Amino acid sequence: MNRLHQLFNTKEEPLLSIYYTAGYPDINSTLDIAEGLEKAGVDFIEIGFPYSDPLADGPVIQNSSLKALNNGMTLKLLFEQLKELRNRVSIPVLLMGYFNTVLQYGVPEFCKACAEAGVDGVIVPDLPMYEYEELYKDCFLDHDVSNVFLITPLTSEERIRKIDKLSNSFIYLLSSSSTTGKNLDVNTSSEAYYARLQKMELNNPTMIGFGIHDHNSFNKAAEFTRGAIVGSAFVKFLDTPDAINRIPEFVATIRK
Amino acid sequence: MKYPDNIRDLVLLNPDYIGFIFYDKSKRFVAEIDEQTIKDIPSCIKKTGVFVDENASVILDYIKKYHLQAVQLHGSETSDTCLKIAESGVEVIKAFGVDEAFDFNQLLPYLDSVNYFLFDTKTKAHGGSGLTFNWQVLEKYTFSKPYFLSGGLGLENLDKVLAINDDRLYAVDLNSCFESEPAKKDIEKLKLAINKLRPILKETESMSYNVNEKGYYGDFGGAYIPEMLYPNVEHLRKEYLKIIYEPKFQEEFNQLLKDYVGRPSPLFLAERLSAKYGAKIYLKREDLNHTGAHKINNTIGQILLAERLGKKRIIAETGAGQHGVATATVCALKGLECVVYMGEIDIERQAPNVARMKMMGATVVPAISGSKTLKDATNEAMRDWINNPEDTHYIIGSVVGPHPYPDMVARFQSIISEETKWQLKEKTGSEYPDYVLACVGGGSNAIGMFYNFLDDEHVKLIAVEAAGLGVDSGESAATTALGREGVLHGSRSILMQTEDGQVTEPYSISAGLDYPGIGPQHAHLFKTKRAQYVSITDQESLDAGLLLAQTEGIIPAIESAHALAYLEKMKFKGNETVVVCLSGRGDKDLATYMKYFNL
Ligand SMILES: Cc1ncc(COP(=O)(O)O)c(C=O)c1O
Repeated sequence: MNRLHQLFNTKEEPLLSIYYTAGYPDINSTLDIAEGLEKAGVDFIEIGFPYSDPLADGPVIQNSSLKALNNGMTLKLLFEQLKELRNRVSIPVLLMGYFNTVLQYGVPEFCKACAEAGVDGVIVPDLPMYEYEELYKDCFLDHDVSNVFLITPLTSEERIRKIDKLSNSFIYLLSSSSTTGKNLDVNTSSEAYYARLQKMELNNPTMIGFGIHDHNSFNKAAEFTRGAIVGSAFVKFLDTPDAINRIPEFVATIRK
Repeated sequence: MKYPDNIRDLVLLNPDYIGFIFYDKSKRFVAEIDEQTIKDIPSCIKKTGVFVDENASVILDYIKKYHLQAVQLHGSETSDTCLKIAESGVEVIKAFGVDEAFDFNQLLPYLDSVNYFLFDTKTKAHGGSGLTFNWQVLEKYTFSKPYFLSGGLGLENLDKVLAINDDRLYAVDLNSCFESEPAKKDIEKLKLAINKLRPILKETESMSYNVNEKGYYGDFGGAYIPEMLYPNVEHLRKEYLKIIYEPKFQEEFNQLLKDYVGRPSPLFLAERLSAKYGAKIYLKREDLNHTGAHKINNTIGQILLAERLGKKRIIAETGAGQHGVATATVCALKGLECVVYMGEIDIERQAPNVARMKMMGATVVPAISGSKTLKDATNEAMRDWINNPEDTHYIIGSVVGPHPYPDMVARFQSIISEETKWQLKEKTGSEYPDYVLACVGGGSNAIGMFYNFLDDEHVKLIAVEAAGLGVDSGESAATTALGREGVLHGSRSILMQTEDGQVTEPYSISAGLDYPGIGPQHAHLFKTKRAQYVSITDQESLDAGLLLAQTEGIIPAIESAHALAYLEKMKFKGNETVVVCLSGRGDKDLATYMKYFNL
């Protein structure tokens, strides 16, 4: 059982996960940030590997990806850095990025490298369900690396059921169809959506991402799901002076 | 087949052939079916005329009138008759009624004059009896020519067809057992049959140059999109064929192409250019379309589609501005809101097109991310669509993007080669040129120019990419020369990228060719070698533009000038026929021409 299952099976309080881009703000900050997040009480982390054309991302993460690339970050270098990961961090870690980078690295090689580094799961938003199921699923399962799928308020029930079947850690909910970095809208239609999902009694726990940026949005998310994922707000924070040493300060703005 | 609605339902099943009986003693005789209904069948489905002992000249008239691509001859036509018909360029399928006593040696004279045989149950009434024959007699058939199997094929005996282990079995001809009444097909029953036959249909599918039902062209294509785009793309995928083959849609589309765009675009014999190169060079004048390029064929199609999908807001990306202008144009025509994303750098270098879009009421949004050119404009348009999933339709400007876009845009652009075929036939007596040339950015004018020739393997297809300052100069957009397989903008194709999979910045003097990928169908045509991919530098294209201006009085777009420039590198034997797609006119490029030639 990997660290993600352990976490979802044992912890009762709302979970907080934080995303940041590998190689940003500095090429060597990847593990320092991971360690800082664990110390600040974050439950699990998502490390983005940068891509030149991040279609699902808003300006903040576009910018961190571009900077990371300019700093020289590559998937190869990231796995090199992650050799030290499990000496420094014990909470679950996911990698998040776009499929072309994975394809060029080689999907089997990528799964193997994740397993060796102690990475528990991956989020590749543009890897379609059909291709995952037909071509890559076994490779992920063989290495005990969870593939996490996204759903939005427009995802049909039939498709959600299928995603639930293919998932083995958690499902990533978007509060509305949007790129990253927009603020969570908590209106009646999204409440109806959360209620609909709760009624479906899915096998996998859910987490809300995209747009979580303060207490309010975090608490709202935790009302309906197991917790929330913060991305752009943290990446923006990383741009402030001495940010890495002030991570607890940031975490306190989200969860008391 | 003779009922229009039934024909259109059948088209959606995407069979390889559809047959029409022109034999007046048959209960399935089509009589005077509407010409347009037959012509509107996409040409990837071969329209087949079925005749019994008809006069060759009458058959040739029917071929012309209905744009038939194949004929089935069910009488006692001689091999000479078959040959005469084959020479007009259609496929000839010669049918024989087979029984235990059938002498296969009588096929010998036909081996050189027909494409396929068809083995049917022997009856007095030339087939259509609903009875099968004993297929074991096929063991006596020793020639290598592939054949169609016909006669009494129904759901209950298809299992036995699957068991026939013969590479020469090329097609099965389903008829009377799948009818709800004579000449009317039972579509649900046919679906079951197609599913049943799937194991043997696979093989021909992999040879096809068109998209399969999963959205792939061989290894390329698919829909690599985040979940936020899935509902929109899936909706489109489910609806696009149904919508575009609705009679009302076709009627409006054809009308607009004619009265608004000015189609058919002329096929012009460029005599002075022909004399220079020693070939018969025809120019397909897409530059004469309204708005000055082929792009409008696609935007007219997509705006009609968007209306039927109930969308109120249109977004588009543009590089040179031609697609942006074509989109702004159709939005003005239909009164829909229009937002065009354009790289900040392209906005500077294509100012007149920016002004055109604005004048027609479009909002032009600069793409300031990444490299600030076409690739980034496309990213921005996709992000807009993610954030506005319900009221917005995204009109992609080339044969790129997630399935079904490449196929949909190809179908709208296929009008280019459809017209070329009949125009060439009128002018030369044959619808087949020796060569077809087109430039490739994303590849929409090239696919449009190739589309109806894809299965005519004797027609050589040449796709011209932009080499920029030279393929090895580091400043180039020659995707097939410099790229590898990868995923960009929702499809798997060939892509210019770093070892790490970061998309690299292409360069070409022509903004319309300045794209790091090509459409997935092109990647497939490249990999299967069905088309040849070559490249032309900035300088060569500018020289070709000047040459066309001075020999024919036509100023081409620099994109199109890339295709023209390749003529210089070809060696023609005799008087070969060449069609070059003149995808756009050069008005937008005048500043560049002025600079290079000190005009
Ligand atoms: C005149 C012209 N030709 C060709 C192209 C290239 O596009 P495609 O390869 O999709 O035909 C463009 C694109 O803007 C164009 O304006």
